[in-house]
Amino acid sequence: MMANFRLYLQGVKVALASRMAYRGDFFMSMIIMLLVEMGAPLLTILIYHNGASFPGWTMYEALLIQGVFLLAKGIAFPFFFGIVWNTIQRVQEGTFDLLLIKPKSALFLAIVTAFDSEDLGKLIGGLTLFALSLSRIAPPGPGEYLQFAALFFIALTALFGFALILAGLGIVWIGNFRVYDIFESVVNFGKYPAALFSKSLQTLITLIIPIAILGYIPASALLGKPAAGTWSAVAVSILFLLFSLGFWHWMLKKYSSAGG
Amino acid sequence: MIIKVENLTKVFKSYQRGNTFGEAVKSLFVRKPIYIHALKGISFNIEEGELVGFLGPNGAGKSTTLKILTGIMHPSGGKAEIMGYTPWKDRKKYVAKIGAVFGQKSQLLWDIPPVDAFYLNKAIYSIPERSFKKTLHEMVELLGVEELIKKPTRQLSLGERMKCEFIMAMLHKPEIVFLDEPTIGLDVIAKDKIREFILEMNRNGVTFILTTHDLDDIAHLARRVIVVNHGEIVFDDSLTTLRNYLGVKKIISVSTMRPLPELRLPGIKITNRISDYKAELELDLSTYELNKFIALVNKSSTILDLSVQDPEIEEVIKGLYH
Repeated sequence: MMANFRLYLQGVKVALASRMAYRGDFFMSMIIMLLVEMGAPLLTILIYHNGASFPGWTMYEALLIQGVFLLAKGIAFPFFFGIVWNTIQRVQEGTFDLLLIKPKSALFLAIVTAFDSEDLGKLIGGLTLFALSLSRIAPPGPGEYLQFAALFFIALTALFGFALILAGLGIVWIGNFRVYDIFESVVNFGKYPAALFSKSLQTLITLIIPIAILGYIPASALLGKPAAGTWSAVAVSILFLLFSLGFWHWMLKKYSSAGG
Repeated sequence: MIIKVENLTKVFKSYQRGNTFGEAVKSLFVRKPIYIHALKGISFNIEEGELVGFLGPNGAGKSTTLKILTGIMHPSGGKAEIMGYTPWKDRKKYVAKIGAVFGQKSQLLWDIPPVDAFYLNKAIYSIPERSFKKTLHEMVELLGVEELIKKPTRQLSLGERMKCEFIMAMLHKPEIVFLDEPTIGLDVIAKDKIREFILEMNRNGVTFILTTHDLDDIAHLARRVIVVNHGEIVFDDSLTTLRNYLGVKKIISVSTMRPLPELRLPGIKITNRISDYKAELELDLSTYELNKFIALVNKSSTILDLSVQDPEIEEVIKGLYH
């Protein structure tokens, strides 16, 4: 366990050193990432400042959902979501083989070699938005914090599941970076209160594909107004992770059976 | 016996696609599968400490064999037992004991110095600090790359990078090292240094399996040669025996001051008479010696330029195949 942790840290150090070789690009990329992710919160602020609103939600409550969503991405993207691009690129270049000649799990090595420092911009943005929104609402109690922490962890596992599916697709669907664009469009629904959507869409993003869990459900728990179907969404997220792990291993088997 | 390979087969499934636009559109909906038999049941054994060269043209099955033996790929059939492991079944345990260098796939990291990549390998293989430093020091000395390993990889020449690739592959002291075209694109000096390094490691007991197109690699390194063609082993013997095949014929290009003679002699076959003063020919050394040929042409026409080359690998393999 400690050896794996040390390996992960070494991977982070190497990735940071590699990225910082181009200092200007390093900081610019972080800032750009931050600005790109700020689109939805800015739109929310604009809506509320023009007299409109998300029914039943104050501006800061709505921003809290987006803060939680961005925070989840801010942790996932630098620390493990990079396996998507890492895998797609390695399979395309033929260097995925190099992960298979090392005495570690190919999935773990794909994570170790995929630390993405640019996405730390998302983490900074997420933390800022989360802290700012939290400071403008009634302070949650310890119970709410506890529920939030558990649901936020589930949100991270759901994102890990998405990463595994996208990376798995990258193994057989060579060079297709479009899969990420599809993911990005779909998960956007997690940034807003689910009540805004039709019943069928609410069911889809809560009970079929774990999207509401990425922002709306943990934020609702923190606000003390738990979302309907929270525990079903937790179960779906866990099943989704198990399915994703199976999918990744199935794709990996296809790769090693078929060659690079 | 450190490597035992028995009747290894590999069949790839691919899809036929036409070359016209209509056929390309049709292939989006209906694809006709085709099966490529990359390995047709190859068997061989390798002893500990051997240095074996795998030779063969493109698509012969060399890299497929190497990928199966390194645990990257599953075979369609057959058995392989290496140091007691089946590579594709016991991958993680097995690969801890092997090393690999791919001439066309770098394990180094482009923007940072090789030494940082070495430290990443140290963590991957859980190499103890003292052992890591000792091995690194030995390798760096042997390859003469003390200053280079601290420069960003992108600033290194191909030869310098390849030396660092070897260090990367040897840090965990593997018992067997697989080399896939390790000297591809290198200049003569870099090739020599790499070959010296391989020989030194081999003297220390490391078993090497080398795939290459380069006959010089084989000549300098391998005592045993396995030639693969169309997924089958067509030759498995000592280098001396292969030399007899290679040495029999030479490809000669000659240009002279005065018109060339007819050269209709046993053992001499003109393949391309470019002009009265320049020709390419095939010389069978078992029938006509090279020094006699040179003396003959020089006497009648005065040689201006002459080059002697081994036949193309494909030609040699064709000869072996028939």
